[in-house]
Amino acid sequence: MGQILQYVINGLMSGAIYALIGVGIVSVYKATKVVNFAHGYLIMFGAYFYYTFSVIVPGMEIMPDWLASWQPEWLLAWKAGLPMFSPMAAVADWIANLPRIGLGLVGAMVCNTLLGLLIERVLMRPLMGQSTFAMIMITVGMISILSGAASLIWSADADFVPHISPNAPIRFTLFGTTIFLFGADLVNMIIALLLFAAIVAMVRFTTSGVAIRATAEDQSTAYSMGISVPKVFSGAWALASLTGAIAGAILATRNGISPSLGLFGFSVLAIVLMGGLDSYGGVLIASLVIGVIEALTQWKLGGDWAEVVPYVAVLIVILIRPHGLFGQKEVERI
Amino acid sequence: MKMNRRTMLASSAAAVSVLGTPALLKAAPKDYVIAASLPMTGPFATAGQLVSPIFKMIEVITNANGGIGGVPIRTTVDDSGYVPQNALANYQRSLATEENLVYYFGDSTGFMKLVAPELKGDNATLMGSTSFASELANPAENPYQYLSGPTYQDQFDILLQNIKAQGGTTVAFIYSNTEFGRDPLETGRKKAEELGIKVVLEEATKPQGADIPTHVTKLAQSGAEYCIMHGYVSSVWPQLIGGAKQFGLPTKFMGTFWGMEKLIADKVTAQAGPFLDGYSGVMPYRYFYDNADAPRYQAYAAFAKKAFAGTPLENYLPTWALEGLCSIEIALDAMRTTVEADKPLTADNLAEAVANIKDWDSGGFFGPKVSMNHNKMGVGRVYSYSTETKLFTPTSDWLTT
Repeated sequence: MGQILQYVINGLMSGAIYALIGVGIVSVYKATKVVNFAHGYLIMFGAYFYYTFSVIVPGMEIMPDWLASWQPEWLLAWKAGLPMFSPMAAVADWIANLPRIGLGLVGAMVCNTLLGLLIERVLMRPLMGQSTFAMIMITVGMISILSGAASLIWSADADFVPHISPNAPIRFTLFGTTIFLFGADLVNMIIALLLFAAIVAMVRFTTSGVAIRATAEDQSTAYSMGISVPKVFSGAWALASLTGAIAGAILATRNGISPSLGLFGFSVLAIVLMGGLDSYGGVLIASLVIGVIEALTQWKLGGDWAEVVPYVAVLIVILIRPHGLFGQKEVERI
Repeated sequence: MKMNRRTMLASSAAAVSVLGTPALLKAAPKDYVIAASLPMTGPFATAGQLVSPIFKMIEVITNANGGIGGVPIRTTVDDSGYVPQNALANYQRSLATEENLVYYFGDSTGFMKLVAPELKGDNATLMGSTSFASELANPAENPYQYLSGPTYQDQFDILLQNIKAQGGTTVAFIYSNTEFGRDPLETGRKKAEELGIKVVLEEATKPQGADIPTHVTKLAQSGAEYCIMHGYVSSVWPQLIGGAKQFGLPTKFMGTFWGMEKLIADKVTAQAGPFLDGYSGVMPYRYFYDNADAPRYQAYAAFAKKAFAGTPLENYLPTWALEGLCSIEIALDAMRTTVEADKPLTADNLAEAVANIKDWDSGGFFGPKVSMNHNKMGVGRVYSYSTETKLFTPTSDWLTT
C-alpha cells in the first residue's frame, strides 16, 4: 500500500506540471479556437529564458559575484557546519542561488510573454477572420522555427539550472514503507496548482475572463458587444506564454535543459484532448490521472511501457468521448 | 623473323611499354583521403565541433612524419547533423569525388548499420566510428567496420568485474530506452550471474527528460550497492546521481564511455554542485592529461598547444576526440602495414591488416599492448572522478574481456 502511495504521489507531482502546461493550450483554444501545436516549444523557450537569466547572465564577467552565488558571512558560517547533501545543506544552497533564481524567473516570464505577444501580433492577428485551420497550420510551422531558433541561440547541449525551491529530501514512513519525496517537486506541484487555480478564477470571475468566454462563444457577437477581440487574443497568448515560462523553468529544473523539452507539448496535447480542449477542470483531472498512470506503469512495467500505456488510455477516452471527458460538444447551427 | 634496325627499335619500344606499365600503374597517388561525417549541427554539435579539428591535426602530424609510404594524407569533414541518412549521403559523395578514399569515420551506430550493406566491391571502404555497439564487432557480417576499443557489452563486463573485485553483491542497471541503452543488457545479466552479482533492478528511462523522482525512488527501493548507467551522453545520468545523493542513497554509480567525459563532469560540478564526487566508470583510453610514457599524446599536446591556442582544445582533448584519433591511428597503422607488404590500399587489404593487428603499441591510448579481436579491442580501465581535482583518475588495472 505504501509503495502504491509513493508512485501515486510521484504521479500527482508530474500531473500538476502537465496541468500547468495544459492550461496554456486551453487558454489559447478558449479565446481563439486555435489548437496551439507549438505550445511545447513555447515552454521550451521559457526554459531557455530561465537558463539564460539564471545561469548565463549571472556568469558574465560584468555581473556582480553575488548574483551568481550569494555568500553572506552568516550563510557561509551556517553552511560550514552542515554535512554535504543534508536537507539543510540543500536549503543553504538554495539561499545562495536565490538572486539568480529570482532573476531567472522574472527574465523568463517577461521574455516569454513578449515572445507570445510577438507571435500573436505577427503571425496570428493577420489571419483573424480567416479559417482557423490556417492558424493551426501556422502553429505547426512554428514548431520548426522555434526548435531551430533555440538550437541556434543556445546550442543543443543539455545543461543544468538551479531549482526554484530547496530540493531537500523528504522521507517518511507510511503503511510500513519509506516514502521518498523531493522537496522541490512538492513545491513545484503547489506552484503549478496555485497558478492553475488563479487562472481558472480569473477566467470565471474577472471582466477579462468574461471577455475570453464571450469571444470563445462567438467572435462577431463579442465584437458587437464592444469587446476588443484582438486584445482577448493577445491576452490569451500572453497568459499561455507566461504560464509556459513557469512550466518551462520547472521542467528544466527536473529534467535539465535541452531542445527535447519541446516534445512535452505533444504529450500534454494528448492529455488536453482527453480532458476536453475547452475545459480547465477536465484538463486538471486528465493531467493528474495520466501522471499517476505513468508513474504506476513505470513502477510495475518499466520505462518502455511508461511511454505507451498512458496514451493508450488517452486514445480510449477520445474514442468513447471525442470531445474529451469534460469538453463541450460543438453544436453547428444552420 | 629477321631482325633489322626498325624491328629492333619497335620491339624495344614494345618491351619498354609492357615492362613499364606496372610501374605506371603503381605510380603513387597524389594523396590518400581520410573522410568523416560529424555532427557539426544538431543535438551533438558540441561534440562534433570539438572532434572536427583533430582530423587536421592528425593530417599535419602524419604528413610531417612522411605520410603513408611517402604519400601524404588529406582529411575532409562533412556535417551530418547526427542524421544517419545525411552521413550516408556524405559517404556516397566522398566515394564519388575522392579517388583515393582509404578510410571513413562515421558518427553513429545508426550510420554504421545503414552503410554496412553498401560496403561491397568498389564501394567498400575501411570504416571506424564513434560507436561501440556490440553488433558492429562482427567481422563475418561487417568485415570493413571496426571498433577502436571495447564494445558496450565489454564495458559492462569490465564494470562488473570491478564490482566483484570490490566485493559488491548487488547491482542496478539503469539505461535509456534506446538501442544504444539496451545493447549490453542481456550479456550484462549473464556476466553478473556468472560473477555471483545479483541484478536487483533493470530500469529503462527516456534518453532525455526522464522522470527522475520515480527512477530514484525505484533505485532506493531496490537497495542496490552499485548502479551502472548506460545509454546517455550529457543528461539523465547527472540528475539521477544528484537525486540519489540528495536522498542520501549509499549506491555507487558507474557509467560507460559516453558518460565519462571530463568536460561534462566539470560542467555538472560547476552548475549543480559536487555530487559527482566518486562517480566512476569504464574508459578504454587514458585521459589526455595522463600523458607520461604516451608519445602519441605528447605529440598531440605539442600540436594542440600551438594550433588550438585559445580554444577548449588547447590543453585538453576530450575522450570523444581520443576515440576518433585512436580509430584513425589504427587505420594508419593498417595502411603502413599494407604499403610495407607492397599491396595496394584496397578496402580488403586494409580490413585484413586491421584484423591482424597484434600487440599494438598504441603510443598512449591503451595501457598495455593491444590486439584486434573480432574487430574490437576489449580493453578498459575503471576511473573515478574527483570534484576537488576535476580529474578522472584510474582505480583499477587495465582489464580485458
